Amino acid sequence: MRARDVFGYSFSAIKLRKLRAGLTTLGVVIGIAAIVALLSITQGLQNTITMQLETGLATDTLVVSPGRSVFSQGGAGIGGGFGGSDSGFKLLLNDTATINGLSPEIEGSVAVIQRAVYFNNSERSFVINVLGVDFAEYEAIYGGNTFVAESGTINLNPLNDEIVIGNTLHNPWENGTLLYNVGETVEIIWTNATARPPKNETYTGQITAVLKEIGGFSFGGPSDTGVYIPISQAQSFFDTDECSQIIVKLTNSDQATIDNVSELITDAFNGEVSVISSTAVLNIIGSVFSVIQLFLVGIAAISLLVAGIGIMNIMIVSLIERTREIGILKALGIKSRTVLMIFLGESVIIGLIGALLGAGLGWVLANVVSVVLSGEGLFSGIAGGQTASVGAAGFDIVPVLTPTVLLGALGFGIGVSVIFALYPAWRASKLKPVEALRYE
Amino acid sequence: MEALRGVNLKVESGDFLAILGPSGSGKSTMLNLIGALDKPTAGTLLIDGVDVSTLSDNQLSDLRRRVGFVFQFFNLIPRFTARDNVELSLSIAGVSKAERKKRAEELLETVGLKDRINHKPAELSGGQQQRVAIARALANNPRFLLMDEPTGNIDSRTAREIMRLVKRLNVEKGVTIIMVTHDQHLAREAKRMVQMFDGVITSDVANGEPA
Repeated sequence: MRARDVFGYSFSAIKLRKLRAGLTTLGVVIGIAAIVALLSITQGLQNTITMQLETGLATDTLVVSPGRSVFSQGGAGIGGGFGGSDSGFKLLLNDTATINGLSPEIEGSVAVIQRAVYFNNSERSFVINVLGVDFAEYEAIYGGNTFVAESGTINLNPLNDEIVIGNTLHNPWENGTLLYNVGETVEIIWTNATARPPKNETYTGQITAVLKEIGGFSFGGPSDTGVYIPISQAQSFFDTDECSQIIVKLTNSDQATIDNVSELITDAFNGEVSVISSTAVLNIIGSVFSVIQLFLVGIAAISLLVAGIGIMNIMIVSLIERTREIGILKALGIKSRTVLMIFLGESVIIGLIGALLGAGLGWVLANVVSVVLSGEGLFSGIAGGQTASVGAAGFDIVPVLTPTVLLGALGFGIGVSVIFALYPAWRASKLKPVEALRYE
Repeated sequence: MEALRGVNLKVESGDFLAILGPSGSGKSTMLNLIGALDKPTAGTLLIDGVDVSTLSDNQLSDLRRRVGFVFQFFNLIPRFTARDNVELSLSIAGVSKAERKKRAEELLETVGLKDRINHKPAELSGGQQQRVAIARALANNPRFLLMDEPTGNIDSRTAREIMRLVKRLNVEKGVTIIMVTHDQHLAREAKRMVQMFDGVITSDVANGEPA
């Protein structure tokens, strides 16, 4: 029997039981729709977050912090700096010179002194992270991207009292109420806890620039909630030569360069520092998302499994109903293999239609959910934090349906249909002609 | 239980054989064996000199394709039209769509159903359904037409029409026919009558001769 005729025969059998086939197909539709919707939403969410991260994290930079990396042995460490051992090692401001000399792949580096301070004007007071950086060097690394003034000017050769603030400190709610403005003077109060007795140090600075909204997480680089003061001022005000981190700019963002330089830096400091690359952070977020995706898809796959059992059930009923018909086909000389194909063909048709409809429905569902989530600003609540912040407006999720996902879902739908039809189809093919013909 | 015991039957090409006997005499079993629908539980069945019990599933299918079966209960596919039912047999044999269509129409014309081509079995009378079944059985130019009580479910007047058709096929088209029946009158239409009882052949005579 020709393939087309086998398929036509399968189709004629399905057409006979439209409602039943429809309901069976519905099971596949729901399963595939769930998988496609979940995958495209999580993929969209991941893209949004990665994009936001990439704005805040230049992928060609490394962050060197004092303290041994907990998880990594050299290379682009992950988690270093989140809890290194306290060996008394201090990363110094002039360590940038050491780092710069390590490799031609290092374009430059900038030391950062970070302290929590009170940031006061006449009306309000906030506890905020102040970062002392060399504006010129910092600008050289982040200038084209995030260390860019929205209002005022970033003076590359600043006076000691100049201050640059992140956008959230200027306009946190985007409703017209502004916190700090260019030209305003602010008092910075730092509690020197090593002095005896501990005392508050104070100096007055002037805001000369507000950064453009970065709207992403920041890791080492500028953030919407950051306050930036000249490094010389930080050095004398906090009375220290020790820096919190050194940001290293590479000539390129190849993984090999990242690994190589990370290792050079770690070795240069005898393993007392941890080096974190933005890429590593992105990778870890990527893998977290993969796990979440896998979990969600696993749940959706269960619904498809249920659909598969539905198919099996319906095929067995169909097989029993059509025993006599199979007997007739066998008397006409049909091959057992062809009977198998006819039954599998029916499930392929159900699976294919179900998968196609399901993919379409899933895509519509993903878009509806995204619009609802984005519109409601469900994620806008996740704002604030000291080094990480999400734009107060919330962010848009654009669901992503890659061809791989689409084909995978279609294949999965058809695959499940076929697998669950194997047994009924096999039983149909094994019917003995005389017995099948005798069946009432 | 043995349905057939030591049966020896030789059928010449172009013959029209009626197998006669009460129910349970083994005549249907014999027909199913000849048509390769069934395998003997013991002993050997030779078709074209080949032992059927040594044949694979696929080879049995091929064998069945060279045999035309007509059943008491027609056994048409209800959702198919007369033409589609005839075409099914051709489609199983791998005949192309265009040729199938042509051949199905010819066959239906032969059995006198030219004007019922697009009717489904439910829209046809018993006699008409059996004609469709005969057309289907003839589709692949079978070596035998095996008929199992072909008129058992049809009123006697229509039954005579069917028998006329069958005889015409035998005489005009040279189709070899083996028909199982328990109706003496019908059996007399055949060229040769075989009597069966309890799984053995009790008589085998050419018609016109005394039984």
